[in-house]
Amino acid sequence: MSKTINGILIDDTFAEAFGMSGTGIIITADTMKWARIAAVTATGFGTSVIGCGAECGIDRELSPDETPDGRPGVRILMFGFSPDALVPQIKNRIGQCVLTSPGSACFSGLNAAEKIGLGKAPRFFGDGFQTAKKLGSSRYWRVPVMDGEFVIEEDTGITTEAVGGGNMLIVGKDRAGLLETTEAAVDAIAKIDDVITPFPGGIVRSGSKVGAKYKGMFASTNDAFCPTLRGSVKSELGPDTLSVLEIVIDGLTSKAVADAMRVGLKAVTDMGASKGVTRITAGNYGGKLGQHHYHLKDLI
Amino acid sequence: MGGLTFRLKAAPGEQLNVSALTPSKLAQLSQHEIARLHIGTSKQQLTAGDVFDISGSASDVVTIEPGDVVVDFAGSEMDGGTLIVDGSVGSYAGRKMRGGKLDIRGNAGNLLASGMSGGMIHVTGSAGDNLGSVIAGDRFGMVGGTVVIGGDIGARAGDKMRRGTVIVKGKTGQGAGTRMIGGTIWAEGGFGPDPGYMMRRGTLIGSKVERLLPTFVDCGRHDLLIVRIVSRHLKTTLGELAPKPMPLFVQKIAGDMATIGRGEILLPAG
Repeated sequence: MSKTINGILIDDTFAEAFGMSGTGIIITADTMKWARIAAVTATGFGTSVIGCGAECGIDRELSPDETPDGRPGVRILMFGFSPDALVPQIKNRIGQCVLTSPGSACFSGLNAAEKIGLGKAPRFFGDGFQTAKKLGSSRYWRVPVMDGEFVIEEDTGITTEAVGGGNMLIVGKDRAGLLETTEAAVDAIAKIDDVITPFPGGIVRSGSKVGAKYKGMFASTNDAFCPTLRGSVKSELGPDTLSVLEIVIDGLTSKAVADAMRVGLKAVTDMGASKGVTRITAGNYGGKLGQHHYHLKDLI
Repeated sequence: MGGLTFRLKAAPGEQLNVSALTPSKLAQLSQHEIARLHIGTSKQQLTAGDVFDISGSASDVVTIEPGDVVVDFAGSEMDGGTLIVDGSVGSYAGRKMRGGKLDIRGNAGNLLASGMSGGMIHVTGSAGDNLGSVIAGDRFGMVGGTVVIGGDIGARAGDKMRRGTVIVKGKTGQGAGTRMIGGTIWAEGGFGPDPGYMMRRGTLIGSKVERLLPTFVDCGRHDLLIVRIVSRHLKTTLGELAPKPMPLFVQKIAGDMATIGRGEILLPAG
């Protein structure tokens, strides 16, 4: 049964999410500015696994006390269909975006029993001048580069218990107010560990449905949630809706995704209807495709 | 201390081989079987019960109080638990050790930690020649684990060492890191003459070096991130036993160029 909180209608529905493989990587640099630059570059073009090969984002910033080399760092997360699918993504993103970034170093950001190569491929950039240093159970590669040495840990952890596609759709009658409210939800979600919101600024304006009328298209616009098509298709939107924004959440665990959705929902309902938000709903495929169902009523 | 304690009754007149006295080996034996373990090295066939007063019960901790007797192979092939030697040990202590902690409250003889692959050895005093080194029949010296020496060490430490870390609070003898293939030797008191003879890879970190081989080359002054990573790792794993961090800039000396020259000696940059 639907519920109304602070003037916002919460649909009695659920977000349907999928099992994924996920990994964490710590990127450090001489300053937080350069750690962030390397992290942003490495996670770029990482919104949807369908088109980008991986869903990537920044989990959180790390103080020098939290990194293996005592410098400021950023933890990024990457999600893919399988560990094998993440191998080329890690190789290319770290090789092209972190190895190249001034003063950077790269370490395991997930402690898990299963491992995936992190520096295994980028180390060959050293052309035989690379050397390894094993400390405890970790092996670090030192690759000579023009600003000194690029240090990269050989492996990082990987989990196949990750979840991709936790989501919430925020519906409003004022575009600016809706964006402001959704941003607040993304900011709240950013405080939860082990999750990312991989789309631009954490927000999707082009929610999709499965399939399309065109051959070769795996996904196409979610016409039922497009305000301008209201009246001409079987719309899910009321007459006053002007805009819908979606937040997609990937997490290393199902609990992290649920926690993220919970704080996201709270952020929206705390702001209330004053900014023009009218309703919160979620995307699903009838519960037949995804293993993970997050019912909105359980999270508010 | 708890656990089993082996206290010397009287000097037996011969060296002892105490390789059987490790926590995991003893855990599987009854008191009677422990007393019948052969630890002598002559045709007298001395047993543990002949030489030691044995007290306590089996646990993760074993203590040997050897007095003035030379005990070889202390902690040999240890794979867990703690072995405390309340005194000095002879040769081959920690030989092929795979895990656990060997706590030597005295000095150690030659070939300490040869073939060691895991665990931790702490010697409060000094150690002899060939620490962590290869012996005839082996392919490598130390291949893992950590050794901390409170005093000085003898010659040719780390001969054919491949992995692992050796911390020396004092100084090393001649030829530390001879034929080294990998790993780290950190000598807070500095290195004796000719460190890294024929070394291929690996890192020698120290406060100074008595004499460098002519086949080592100066690569200049650098702020190497790996030194900070090693320092932090050692601080985390060893606590107070960790060496004092090196200054931000170190002088990197590469060698031995008589081989592939991927090894390095790191000294505080002037």
